[in-house]
Amino acid sequence: MLNYILKRVAQSGIVLLVVGLVAFSMFRFVGDPIDNMLGQERTVADIERLRSDLGLDLPFPVQYYKFLEGAVQGNFGVSYRQGRAVSEIIAERAPATLELAAVSGFLAISMGIILGVFTAIRRDGWASHLIMTVSLIGVSLPTFLIGILLIYVFSVDLGWLPSFGRGDVVDLGFWSTGFLTQSGLLALILPSITLGLYQMTLIMRLVRSEMLEVLRQDYIRFARARGLSERVVNFRHALKNTLVPVITVTGLQLGSIIAFAIITESVFQWPGLGLLFINAIQFVDIPVMAAYLMLISVMFVLINLIVDLLYVFVDPRLREGGI
Amino acid sequence: MKTITYSAMLLALSTTAHAESFKWAGTTDPQTMDPHAVNSAPVLGFLNNVYEGLVRRGKDMAVEPALATSWEPIGDGEGWRFHLREGVTFHDGASFTADDVIFSYERASSEPADVKGWFAPISEVKKVDDYTVDFMTSAPNPIFPDSIANWMIMDADWTASVGADLPNKDAGNAATLQANGTGAYMLKDRQPGLQTTLVAYDGWWGDDIGNVTEATFTPIQNPATAVAALLSGDVDMINPVPIQDAARLEGSAEVEVIKGIEARVIMLGFAQGADVLKYGADAGKPNPFLDVKVREAVAKAINVPAILRTIMRGNAEEASQLVSPAMRGYSTAHSERPAFDVDGAKALLAEAGYADGFSFGLKCPNDRYLNDEAVCQAVTAMLAQVGITAELDAMPVRNYWPELREDNFDMYLLGWSPGTFDHEHPVRFLASTPNAEKKLGSWNFGDYSNARIDELLPMIQSEIDDTKRQAMIDETTAIYQSEHAYVPLYIQPLVWGTRSNIDLTQRPDNFFILRWASVN
Repeated sequence: MLNYILKRVAQSGIVLLVVGLVAFSMFRFVGDPIDNMLGQERTVADIERLRSDLGLDLPFPVQYYKFLEGAVQGNFGVSYRQGRAVSEIIAERAPATLELAAVSGFLAISMGIILGVFTAIRRDGWASHLIMTVSLIGVSLPTFLIGILLIYVFSVDLGWLPSFGRGDVVDLGFWSTGFLTQSGLLALILPSITLGLYQMTLIMRLVRSEMLEVLRQDYIRFARARGLSERVVNFRHALKNTLVPVITVTGLQLGSIIAFAIITESVFQWPGLGLLFINAIQFVDIPVMAAYLMLISVMFVLINLIVDLLYVFVDPRLREGGI
Repeated sequence: MKTITYSAMLLALSTTAHAESFKWAGTTDPQTMDPHAVNSAPVLGFLNNVYEGLVRRGKDMAVEPALATSWEPIGDGEGWRFHLREGVTFHDGASFTADDVIFSYERASSEPADVKGWFAPISEVKKVDDYTVDFMTSAPNPIFPDSIANWMIMDADWTASVGADLPNKDAGNAATLQANGTGAYMLKDRQPGLQTTLVAYDGWWGDDIGNVTEATFTPIQNPATAVAALLSGDVDMINPVPIQDAARLEGSAEVEVIKGIEARVIMLGFAQGADVLKYGADAGKPNPFLDVKVREAVAKAINVPAILRTIMRGNAEEASQLVSPAMRGYSTAHSERPAFDVDGAKALLAEAGYADGFSFGLKCPNDRYLNDEAVCQAVTAMLAQVGITAELDAMPVRNYWPELREDNFDMYLLGWSPGTFDHEHPVRFLASTPNAEKKLGSWNFGDYSNARIDELLPMIQSEIDDTKRQAMIDETTAIYQSEHAYVPLYIQPLVWGTRSNIDLTQRPDNFFILRWASVN
């Protein structure tokens, strides 16, 4: 078993290295940061000097090696655009993305389960049909459009909610939170709905089909025959058995909520990591792009690693066979 | 005495009664708060509210006194003497003297500074007394005071005490995030890329200031989000308004659209140093653009009024030369651009031996100028009507400049806004034969070259007499126009949007000067 774990960890490490290598080989095609860093009256000498200062004249494997050398020591370099340490910028932006992801994840799971159960129990009611139809729209419209639509309805027309930004935040020293102010909470509503809508629809449809499957099982009929109330049958017996696959899928979706945040964040000017990444691409801010891509791949690799390791405990054959 | 007290009281009353906050949004966050580190419009435009130069530009772009009260040439053009304003204090309370000017000169002309080009004509700077400074020039330089309107003065002691003696663009320093100027507004809070807050400086020496006491700038990159933020009242002003949204915003009672003409001229350039074409079906064949008749044919084939009517929705103006009429040195004698004339263009092509046309590559940015890609598509279609086929390759600006530097084009699109607001500027950067050592022609990607223009440029730079100088600029204009070195198309529009209770002034350099804004 130890053998299996070590193998999985080693594989994860190789995946990370390859992701970094691919990222660095792509940076040349993203463009040249030099023109963004120098003004109109720059000379040819200025261009050459800056390029060699930044190490951009080196071949990309060397640039990648230098990045790795710094990264293992926790040093991701200095942002070309902001002139500050990348690790500092990422630490500053991460709370915004994580809070948004947490709220939309919570919305997606809770609403997804409630609506999924509802549409399964009342499968032929008009409300279920309506929810299913609306959810189809939600899943087929692009995030960008949903965001703009929500802004126009709730900010421009009704004037209830802010059209962009994170509102007032409270700085706790290591973490800036929007949960503690009214404007911060109001600002969370539209972006988290936009970001969570797709996942909510997914979970809802999953719960509904699993639930319909379970409700056909014999033990549900016996439970009904025993005279148990609908409530107990639906929620204690049926829903519990529905949740196993839902939890697996939800866990894997957590990563994509953070990764999908790029579009939502740029529509709502949400000051998180996704917006930082978009701006970094526009400016060809290579240190920020590299650090963000590594961070996201570390996250996905970790989630997959944990899932793989969980199988060991779930599947006894892995434990004894020593694969 | 009584009147003074009365007006002072009135002023105090009016400022307290109308203390107002103001929020605005733009596409680009200024990348630094260091006025010498990056020579770009977003940085200099923003910092003009916090720092000040010896001179500044007024609402009509004319140069007016700021930290210097007056200036005059020394002798027969050996330099310029500036008399400094007394009683000015920096935001931290330190007083402003000649030492700060000398320090700021040394800092801004140092190797890592991005604005050092402004001081190329300077041989020495001398402190005469605490409030007089001499700038000695190696040759007479009539436009020196005009060329330093964006050179901002930093406090010598403060800058040294925070360890920012030299600008540092790569790694940043304290001056990247903090500021201590003499301007009408102080930097209260700076969160790079997120939000920057300014507050009015009570100790400011001037009185030309509106009622905004606290102002917040937020960069919003997504144009649809910015328009929604303005419509919902979350911000008071946005710059720019997407051209296609301008008409819709004008229909709303709550917002106003402010239109003007920017200093930027959009033009087409040609590869004039290449013997052969590089792109299209005729790649490898002799370069037709070496023939002035072909370049003239291109100028005649493009229907600029149609581009302005459709793509710019009537918001821009035709351009005849490398600068707009608002610039110093604009040549009124040469204000006509070649008329749209398909038959004339075809005749010229036939004369040059290209009656059957040819095919070439047109490079174009797609995120640098307003609707740049659409303009290039229109140009491609118009050139097709006279029988020449442009293969359009549009790309983001971060890929575009490297391509131009590598000479990977047959024809290209370029916009130019003269930093000094003088016709000499584009002549130096675009029409001079490229020469890295003399720092000439650094944006002349097409290698246009004319010996007479190279000869005229130093004479223009050092001529004190305005009439003689204009005559030489007129001659230069006549040369590059008759040789069709570039095909100037139009002057880019400026479109800002504000809430209707906001008064402000739009300056042609696209700088937003906060002290000219008022909330009603």
